[in-house]
Amino acid sequence: MENVATDENWKNCFSQLAPGLLLFARQWARSTADAEDIVQEAFVRFWRKQHDIANRGLLYATVRSIALDFLRRDSRRARRESTAASETEQTVQPMFAIEDESQRALVAALDLLPNEQREVLVMKIWNELTFAEIASALEISQNTAASRYRYALAALKKNLPAV
Amino acid sequence: MNDFSELESQLGKLRPVQPSADLMTRVERALAEARHSESLHRGETSTATAGVLPRERRFRFNWLSLGLGLAAAAALVLFTWIQLERPAKKMPALSSITPAPQFSSPASTAQFIPAGLTQVVYHTRDEGVHFPSNSEQPMRRVRSHTRETLQWRNPTTGASLRISYPSEEVSLVAVTGQ
Repeated sequence: MENVATDENWKNCFSQLAPGLLLFARQWARSTADAEDIVQEAFVRFWRKQHDIANRGLLYATVRSIALDFLRRDSRRARRESTAASETEQTVQPMFAIEDESQRALVAALDLLPNEQREVLVMKIWNELTFAEIASALEISQNTAASRYRYALAALKKNLPAV
Repeated sequence: MNDFSELESQLGKLRPVQPSADLMTRVERALAEARHSESLHRGETSTATAGVLPRERRFRFNWLSLGLGLAAAAALVLFTWIQLERPAKKMPALSSITPAPQFSSPASTAQFIPAGLTQVVYHTRDEGVHFPSNSEQPMRRVRSHTRETLQWRNPTTGASLRISYPSEEVSLVAVTGQ
């Protein structure tokens, strides 16, 4: 049921979650615009049913589902963009606001991670989800989520000897 | 325990790219459109309640459906009744339907008047030529199985009385030679 505070609630929730959600969606979208489309559709679909963010795992599961649908719908375009991106790396829009070379190296190391480890890392670090919520969103066990997180950190540390 | 704390700290300092300024507006518009389409789907309009309260959804009785259902049920009952009233036995032959003899009944049955006599021949068998002792010429014996039904009706009350019984008739038919 709707209530009078619904409009304000969704704005507060969305302004807090939007950067992390956008970063999460960027795991499957090459451009910020595509990621914003995914986040918009997912949030609207989620908010119409939930009206609060108590179940954050469901929100991220919705984003992931829509992002995968987006990939399937535009597979040809995604392949074309992927090929173009690999040929000219500078065309890929950045996911982070990089301030120095150490951060640039960190982002480069992030790009080398397997998708399943990177998505857990994104959910944990920049979206502050618990392993229970990550497990719920990805439909895996909490132990698996924690393992993927540790593997991701270990891989990053291995690729960044200065850290 | 956590030897990744420094790495986690560095990762935390990375700031994700902020969404564009119009994303919030787009989401707001999409939510409004979704609410509007939902209200249209429910058959509600915003002006109907001046936007104060959601209009109460009232139960509508579908009289057309009820009428059609009752008509179908009545037709079914009528059809079943007709089927039950129809005699189940198939009449092989109707030999005669005679008008009722007009006679007065005794006092006890004075109110019932004969309504008809029905004689149904349902089997006839030719038993061949015989030579009866009291006849000089051969006779063909024909055996018939019939069912006779007598019917009375009370004209004042509409009540009817029916008596039905089987009968067997043997007839001798003279054989004529050419």
